[in-house]
Amino acid sequence: MSEGVEERGYGVNQVPPVGHLVVSAIQHVLLMVTSLVLPILFASQVSESSGFAASLIAFSMLAAGVGSIIQSVGLPFIGSRYLCPNVCGPSYFSLSLSAAWVGGIPLMRGMIVIAGLVEMAIAPIVQRLRSVFPTFIVGLVVAMVGVSILAPAVSSFFGLAFREDAIRTADILVGSLSLLVMVLANLWGRRFAKMYCLLIGIVLGWVLSLILIPDYAHDLASARGASLFAVPTIGPAFRGIAFDLKLVIPFVVIAVSGSLKSLGNLLAAQRISTPGLEGTDFGPIRKGLLAYGLSTVLAGLLGGMAVDTSSSNVGLAGATRVLSRWISVAAGVIFVILAFFPKLIAVLSMMPKPVMGASLIFAGSFMVSTGLRQMFSEAWSPKKTFVVGIAFFFGLSTAFLPTLYARAPQIVQTLFTDPLPTATIVAVVLNLLFNLDLVFRRRKNGRGRSNDT
Amino acid sequence: MMGQSCEGVQGHRPSSRRSRKACAIVLPALVGLLVLVLAIPGCRRAYGDLDLSMYQYRDTRNLVRFVYDAALTVRDEGLGSLESFRSERARFRTSETYLYIYRADGTNLFHAGMEELEGRNLWDVTDKNGKPVFQQVIEALEDANNPHAWVHYSWWEPGRFFSVPKSSCHFKVETPDGEELIVGGGLDYPHEEPEFARILVDDAVDLIEALGQGALLEISNPVSKYNYRDVRVFVFDRDGRTLIAPAINSTFSQTNLLECIDEVGKRPFVQALGELEIADTAWEVFMAKDPYQRRLIRKCLYVRATTLAGDGVYVAAITDLPEPPY
Repeated sequence: MSEGVEERGYGVNQVPPVGHLVVSAIQHVLLMVTSLVLPILFASQVSESSGFAASLIAFSMLAAGVGSIIQSVGLPFIGSRYLCPNVCGPSYFSLSLSAAWVGGIPLMRGMIVIAGLVEMAIAPIVQRLRSVFPTFIVGLVVAMVGVSILAPAVSSFFGLAFREDAIRTADILVGSLSLLVMVLANLWGRRFAKMYCLLIGIVLGWVLSLILIPDYAHDLASARGASLFAVPTIGPAFRGIAFDLKLVIPFVVIAVSGSLKSLGNLLAAQRISTPGLEGTDFGPIRKGLLAYGLSTVLAGLLGGMAVDTSSSNVGLAGATRVLSRWISVAAGVIFVILAFFPKLIAVLSMMPKPVMGASLIFAGSFMVSTGLRQMFSEAWSPKKTFVVGIAFFFGLSTAFLPTLYARAPQIVQTLFTDPLPTATIVAVVLNLLFNLDLVFRRRKNGRGRSNDT
Repeated sequence: MMGQSCEGVQGHRPSSRRSRKACAIVLPALVGLLVLVLAIPGCRRAYGDLDLSMYQYRDTRNLVRFVYDAALTVRDEGLGSLESFRSERARFRTSETYLYIYRADGTNLFHAGMEELEGRNLWDVTDKNGKPVFQQVIEALEDANNPHAWVHYSWWEPGRFFSVPKSSCHFKVETPDGEELIVGGGLDYPHEEPEFARILVDDAVDLIEALGQGALLEISNPVSKYNYRDVRVFVFDRDGRTLIAPAINSTFSQTNLLECIDEVGKRPFVQALGELEIADTAWEVFMAKDPYQRRLIRKCLYVRATTLAGDGVYVAAITDLPEPPY
């Protein structure tokens, strides 16, 4: 991204002028709202009332918005101080749904609180994991963060609403043109076109889709019924909090997996925010993970869906070189305000799927390339070839061959979930295994020296 | 400290001229967004007189629109439109669907996929399971519960030699000459729309209310419209005992439906009956296992209450629900 292109934008601690701050924040919010499909889908899956859906979306947005502020504003012991906003997270989607099915929203809330506490407990350990996460594994994790949005990005790009949908030519056209506008504005645009390439691509793609595809205008019409302003109400479904021992292990596993994903996002944010940094500074990463855990707890207490740090927003920041954490704070504030405007939420969440997919691919490409560059930035060795190669094989297999693992033993199903956690776990284990010879050699040399002395 | 190193490379102080430039580029984009919001009141539902809101899948909606458009042409231009249909046959055929036009007596006038059927009478033709397809089309067109006259059967793809499941929708039109024609089109490998199950359960309720006990024989008949693919209309009483079982063409096993639980321990039948205390119909979603998927899949149960020989009974069907794409 930066090769041959002038390095301009806003540094991580710079406060952009108000106009830029607001417009950049809106650009990030447009990317964040793509995650609102999750609470919408969730509400439809538990088949509750439209009031339930509105409250779930509002509470999820409040949690994600406040989480984004905590992550970036710079409180003393918490928050990474990077541009790394929170969104309604896909990691917990299936499991939250299961909890809601078993014990309703109170159980979902309780289990999300537990998961958040686990994430907060993991945060301090990360600092001690320097040896477990050498630079090339950090690069792999960052690359896999980009890969992990492949499924939602590509299926949205082609306009798919359901698994068996056929792909329409008009959707391909809208998706391709939106992506092309975003990329070309970023590559060839002057400063402002480059800085707001995503916003420009989204608006053009949206207008084009309304012209070409009647379904999207039809969807937009359904937002007419939503009220302009409403305070989220705590309906009967949201009252109470419950726990279930049987769900603790699955939620802990997802909490670890979610933490790994956030670790990847925070590492990527650090990589793009501090390009001159040698190695990894685990201080901000630890604080960032703590903020992530706290946001998850908050989501559980509020009755929203669990949050995730957003890979695509980190990617957007890297692509536009607009890295100011204050933009993340402003985006969080806007997200919180938006939670009180159901009509605006309804309109924004009806962003045509191909436009949504183009945005995710645009942002995801940056994550993949950042990770790969980081991975290969240091001297290579045959050991790394096998660590990375095997981790890629098994990590990507969870995306390419999901049905394969559906009938695997439970332990395999637990460990082989998504590309990111699977590749990370495999890479870490193999790296430790392949370096056992060095450990033995060091011990042997140590004994030899002590014998000599 | 880290942030400072970055600022050193990238830092700058934008001037008011730059801000103006920014506004010139970004404001139109924001105005565009605003226009989108303001445009909502102006957005009308496409095909305002054709309600497609009951369909979950866009393939289904597209098929109904496709057949509806053709039906309007036939209504306005009458038999004269057949020439243009025939001359542009490829326009009315895709890999998954094709258009056809019949007289009400079963004579085919146009078939975009199977030209050899044109001029032949298909009134008595049955599918591989014995379903009288055309007769069911005529019945569906008279059915108030079935606004788009859906019929489900087995057929074959043009040029192929194996059967495929098919669901077709139909419109009856009167030409300017006063002749009644049937315009239809079908999807090969169709999606299981909950609306399909709704139509048949509602029809079964009407049949029970009209015929009483005699209706059960027709509903349980495997080649009646009440059984298609994996969907089956079934009947049970207040105690959960089956009069027509949901999974087998017999009631020998007598599974008590009220005791049945789904994969997360819920009792869909008990819940549905609870809903029916306050509503005429109940849609109950429940979870099921798919051996080829990691997560549970959703199915739904549609139930209605009626009376049979003075006793309360429930008529229901179970169907799949759409799964998210990832």
